[in-house]
Amino acid sequence: MYYSRPRPGLWFLFWLSALTAIGFFLIPAFVIRPFHLQTSRSLGLAMALRERAPLGSLVAGVVSVWFGWLLWRSDNLRRKIVLSVMLALVAFSVVMSRLNYFEWMFHPVDSAQFESEAASKLENPEMILAIRYADDARAYPIREMAYHHILNDTVGGVPVAVTY
Amino acid sequence: MWTRTVNGKVLHFYLAGINNQNFLMRDKETGTWWQQITGKAIYGPLKGSSLELVPSDELTFGEWKAEVTGGKVLAPVPKYAKKYDSNWEPEVAKLPVVISFPGTELKSRDVVVGLELGGASRAYPWDTLAKQSPVMDRVHGTPLLVVVGPDGKSFRVFISRIDGKDAEFFLKGETEADESAKKTAAASPTAGSPSGGATSGAPQATSANSAAPAKTWALLDASTASEWNFQGCAVSGSATGKCLEKVPALKDYWFDWRNYHPDTTIYKR
Repeated sequence: MYYSRPRPGLWFLFWLSALTAIGFFLIPAFVIRPFHLQTSRSLGLAMALRERAPLGSLVAGVVSVWFGWLLWRSDNLRRKIVLSVMLALVAFSVVMSRLNYFEWMFHPVDSAQFESEAASKLENPEMILAIRYADDARAYPIREMAYHHILNDTVGGVPVAVTY
Repeated sequence: MWTRTVNGKVLHFYLAGINNQNFLMRDKETGTWWQQITGKAIYGPLKGSSLELVPSDELTFGEWKAEVTGGKVLAPVPKYAKKYDSNWEPEVAKLPVVISFPGTELKSRDVVVGLELGGASRAYPWDTLAKQSPVMDRVHGTPLLVVVGPDGKSFRVFISRIDGKDAEFFLKGETEADESAKKTAAASPTAGSPSGGATSGAPQATSANSAAPAKTWALLDASTASEWNFQGCAVSGSATGKCLEKVPALKDYWFDWRNYHPDTTIYKR
């Protein structure tokens, strides 16, 4: 049996849940993007959403799939296209909410390897960040840290976060 | 650079977002969000905590090798080595700026050396430093020595006190006459090399500190005429063995420094 009359209540609930699922991913991604100035308010909102996104987007996503399924039984091809596109975006958002795409852009150092001064291929004028605790003196080339951005290390027994 | 121990627990950080040209990091243990530039936790269970600053240097590989023996250098990660840009400085200088502060003589991407002492922030334009090093200054009542190394690229900041007394430093080979010549040179529209007072000068010296070859580079203090090296320690003269206290400072773009230190003053001569 097909429903041929519009069901606004159902559509409203579908849009609400789908946009919620998508928003959990999209709003933080939009706020926390390079070259965009973040105010502390917008940042606070972005972090609050990002934190709840894995679960929030999943719950809203499942709900939207349920309503989408109820709405699917229709002759209208246009409606089916709209539903498909939205559900694809929902699925994308649910997956992306669980991934740290910043680490795709800037891969972390899985395990830091060190070489001696003599073995290093760095040239003398290259800038480094240098730390020393006790007898442990380490140099982190800025050209490398400018890519990885962060490295968890232990120098002379002291756990440090090397950042650039 | 920060220590990773908070309340006795060692945290592991990872990149979690880009934040106004700096970045946000989170720790795996609590999921708290931290701001890389300030070391402060801004969201999450540890909100309000601060990471402890690690004393570190930003200097050239050559200068570091001269100062340290048995040091270890971070090796490139083979998988990503192609993505490292040895030309990163001029590349970053071309990137768009997230915020600008008109009304000062400094342009957004001008490089400054920034420091904070007793809550007061100060920025030293790199061009000025390169021409006038060593710079004597006073921040929050504390006398400071801001100096560019013999390689013309490394820099350090020290508290300019020997045995509790304020001290004044000159580049070896320079005299007070050179100091005033530096000031005149800096003030003139075509600021060029200071007057020929550097006795150990190289033929084409454009600034006093690059005039002295690395081996004979030294600072002299006005009161004891002892020689001090770039590590801030006296290597000859009556002050031998004494070292100046280092002040953490970093090289940054003006717009970024100003964004996180809205009350910063700018060093001018």
